[in-house]
Amino acid sequence: MHVDKLDEPTSVLLQVDDGADLVDALAQHGWGDGLPVVAPTPERVDAMLAGNPGDAVIAVLPPRFGEATRRTLAVNAVMAGCLPVHLPVLEAAVRALARPELNLRGVNATTHCVAPLLIVHGEVARTAGYHGGRGAFGPGNRANAATGRALRLVLLHVAGATIGDGDASTQGGPAKYGYCVAENVDASPWPAYPTTIGVDTASAVTVHCGEAPHNVHDMESDDPARILDKVASAMATTAQNNACISQGEYLVALCPEHAATCADAGWSRRDVASYLFQKARLPAAELKRAFALRAWEPWMERLGDHDPAPMTAHPDNIRILVVGGPGKHSSVIPSWGMTRSVTLPLADGPLGNEPTPC
Amino acid sequence: MLIHRPDGAVTTPPADLSASPAVLSGKRIGLLDNRKPNADVLLGRLAERIVERTGATLVRTETKNAAIPCDDQVLGLLAEEVDVILTGTAD
Repeated sequence: MHVDKLDEPTSVLLQVDDGADLVDALAQHGWGDGLPVVAPTPERVDAMLAGNPGDAVIAVLPPRFGEATRRTLAVNAVMAGCLPVHLPVLEAAVRALARPELNLRGVNATTHCVAPLLIVHGEVARTAGYHGGRGAFGPGNRANAATGRALRLVLLHVAGATIGDGDASTQGGPAKYGYCVAENVDASPWPAYPTTIGVDTASAVTVHCGEAPHNVHDMESDDPARILDKVASAMATTAQNNACISQGEYLVALCPEHAATCADAGWSRRDVASYLFQKARLPAAELKRAFALRAWEPWMERLGDHDPAPMTAHPDNIRILVVGGPGKHSSVIPSWGMTRSVTLPLADGPLGNEPTPC
Repeated sequence: MLIHRPDGAVTTPPADLSASPAVLSGKRIGLLDNRKPNADVLLGRLAERIVERTGATLVRTETKNAAIPCDDQVLGLLAEEVDVILTGTAD
């Protein structure tokens, strides 16, 4: 195999001086996220692939239109600190990123602070160590941290979402370092999230492109309405893109205790979404005054000034799942807007080599 | 130490811009407004100045959503009817 010096990179393998600072050496080429990385040596990349084929193109990611192969994903997974059991999750997430309804080109190029949130569902969350319990959005779990970071490295390196070039984000955001969590299905009173949208496999991933979590705390309520009124309050604001883009989704991550209060009162996930759809509203005139340019459904444009306008066009755009541990803090994760979340199953059995349309 | 590149291949290079015409006189100008605030003002004024200075003609104005690619039908119309498109990206 042809080998180049790092300052003349034209091939797959690069030579780095043993004494060189790897972060600095990579940064000279615009690579890396600023944090130390594990060197993606051929031995480590081969171990990450675990004998599975690696060269088929599984997705082409804009704006660079880089080809994501399993080997390329493995390189970035090594750099991020992943284990081989995390690679199928990363691969499924990248397939999700490439789905047209997710609109990755817009997600990467916008001035908004959007970051793809990777949610891991089902058996793989248990077997590969993903965490959906106490502090799940925070640090301390290798699977969440490394896979979330690996997905960002893929966006930086393969998709070319580099600041000022392929990523125009005005302020960026901490979620752009890594944003991965598991659904806490064991503590959820409702069926696993993927089954609600027709994905009925042992393991799956969801990618939702949105903001960082907005906290909602309720320590005192023992009925669903009072809790969800606070959630609706976090949704009903002009300070998010959902306010002017009616196709935008909300991901509502209820903590187990809030979810239990809802379920104990007989509320289904659908009931929760329908209630939030009705309650999370602002006067149409206020929204129109805030946004001269709106991407609203036509029926919303016909609302009178005093009519309460919903923050999204349909209850189905409000996605409910359970995340977290003991305590009474839930969160709302608004959408970037011109994007739809994607849920995909993980490949069953040994990894294949078939390219997936993207 | 040998390491793998993290970026992978690119086989679909982004489209290049066409070469700008050397002379705008007599050319047909089109505007593609991305609907960001004041984009129409800026592009419209640019078009006015170009028309005044060069004798080009403003023949078509279209809009697109800034967050998604331009519709192929809109691009097709512009390609048929204009020689130069004025547009902008981002905010």
